[in-house]
This record gives sequence, structure tokens and C-alpha cells, in this order.
Amino acid sequence: MSFTLSQKEYSSNVKFLLKINQEWHIARARYQVKDLALKHGFGQINLAHLITSLSELSYNLVFHTNNGGTITVSLLFCQDAIGIQLLCIDDGPGITSIKDALTDGFSTNGGLGGGLPGTERLMDEFNIESSSKGTQISCIKWNV
Amino acid sequence: MNIIPILQLQSNLIASIQTELTDEQALAFQSELLEKNSALNTKGIIIDVSMLDVIDSYMAKVLTDLAKMIKLQGSKAVLSGVQPAVASTLVDMGMKLNSIETFLSLDSAFLYLTKEQSGKTKK
Ligand SMILES: Nc1ncnc2c1ncn2[C@@H]1O[C@H](COP(=O)(O)OP(=O)(O)OP(=O)(O)O)[C@@H](O)[C@H]1O
Ligand SMILES: [Mg+2]
Repeated sequence: MSFTLSQKEYSSNVKFLLKINQEWHIARARYQVKDLALKHGFGQINLAHLITSLSELSYNLVFHTNNGGTITVSLLFCQDAIGIQLLCIDDGPGITSIKDALTDGFSTNGGLGGGLPGTERLMDEFNIESSSKGTQISCIKWNV
Repeated sequence: MNIIPILQLQSNLIASIQTELTDEQALAFQSELLEKNSALNTKGIIIDVSMLDVIDSYMAKVLTDLAKMIKLQGSKAVLSGVQPAVASTLVDMGMKLNSIETFLSLDSAFLYLTKEQSGKTKK
């Protein structure tokens, strides 16, 4: 699966901002994003990939930061294609080594360590920036 | 408190997970399943996930941990009803559910366990 859509122009429309700092927020977030994706015709597999990624980013907010963070959910339109973007921002401790964090099996808290590398594979576009002031992850799933 | 009903069918336990579990719910489910398994002396456990449209790495860990504990109790846990989209996602996530055998339906999981159990008693 290769994507050139990102090079093209797309318009973006912010749908909602999810605040996530407790586990029960994750179920609610999942429900809202699922609803949005279904409304815009996402297929079962794209939907599962999107929602699983949302889950992984959310669990990381709950388990790896003190105050949690936010996930901004936007609809993207590019010609005929519709996409959903998750922009996940926190002011937590940051990721010391992005390279390690994106390696399968790397976890600092005894998890399976598949969350971030898995999300990178599941989503069409994946971008991560991190410093000691926090972490920002943007990812997009196109429904094509 | 455990929110997942655990039913006995012959020498097997069946539990159907209907929603994502929180940490606490997962722990409560785990301990009730382990307790029931030893109290009722059951041989097989089927965990049905056909209602789940997402199995993330947290849920995968809960399930694989559970299978390992059941194995330590001398029984066997299997998964049934993994949806096609879930299967595809698990593969892309690089998640290995290798400590737990999976079946398309509850029916085939049950058939497999009963066959295996009758094979064992003949030995
Ligand atoms: N938002 C974040 N802030 C700070 N550190 C993070 C954040 N997200 C991830 N990390 C770091 O990156 C590592 C890898 O994350 P990843 O989600 O891949 O694995 P995990 O959360 O440890 O385990 P799993 O997701 O498989 O249960 C984490 O162990 C953690 O150290
Ligand atoms: Mg994680």
C-alpha cells in the first residue's frame, strides 16, 4: 500500500477534540470515532485499523503521561477520498528514543510494545515529534 | 466485579466478551475464570470474541496472559469468533496470539475441545 495522497491538496475539517486522561475515556473516544467513520462510509477493515490505532494512542496517553492529553479528530477530503486524521498531543515526559519506541517489542512498562509500531503500520500516514515537554503524533487513515 | 458471564457446558467453560474491558474488569474476569476453572475442574475454556470489533494490544495481552494461566492450571483456553477485520488488524499490529489457538466459530472451538478431551481419556 503506497500513498501519494499526502502530496496532493486536501481540505480538513475538525470534528471533535477528545480529552483522554482516564481509561474510561478510551471507550467513549472509540465509540465517537467509530460513529464518525461509519457515517462516512469507512469499510470494516479500515475502520478496525483506525479504531485500533486510536486505542493504542489513547492507552499511551493514560499509561505514559501524568495528565493525559487530547486527540483532535478531523475529516480530510482529497478529491474522491475521505480520510480521518488523529492528532494526539500531550505535555507528558516525552519519548526518549523515537527509534526505540517504534521498534516492535520495545516497552518501558511491561506492555507488549506493539502499540506505536503497530499504529505506524495500520495508518497510511504517521508522524511523531517528541521532546521533554511532550509528544505530538499525527496519523491519517484514508478510506480507499 | 466480573461483568462477563461464565457458563459451563460439559467439561468446558464458555465466556463471551461483549465489550472492551478496562484494567479492573479484565482482572476481575481473569480471577473469576481461574477460580471457576479449578473449582469445577473443567478441561477447556472458550473465550468468544465475536462481538469485539477491536482487539488492541492491551486486549491481546489480557487474552494471552489468561491462556498462559489456564495452561498452568492444566486446562486449555481457546479463542472463537475472531472477526475478519480483527484478524487483519492483529496481523498488521504484529501481534502474536501464539499461546492461544483460535477458531472461526464457537461451534468449531467446542468440537475441537471435546474431541481433544475424549482423545485424552482414551489414552
Ligand atoms: N505519549 C507518550 N508519552 C511518553 N512516552 C510514550 C508515549 N507513548 C509511548 N511512549 C513510550 O514509547 C514506548 C513504546 O510505546 P508502545 O505503545 O509501542 O508500547 P507500550 O505502550 O509500552 O506497550 P503496548 O502498547 O504494546 O501495551 C512506551 O513504552 C513509552 O515508553
Ligand atoms: Mg502503548
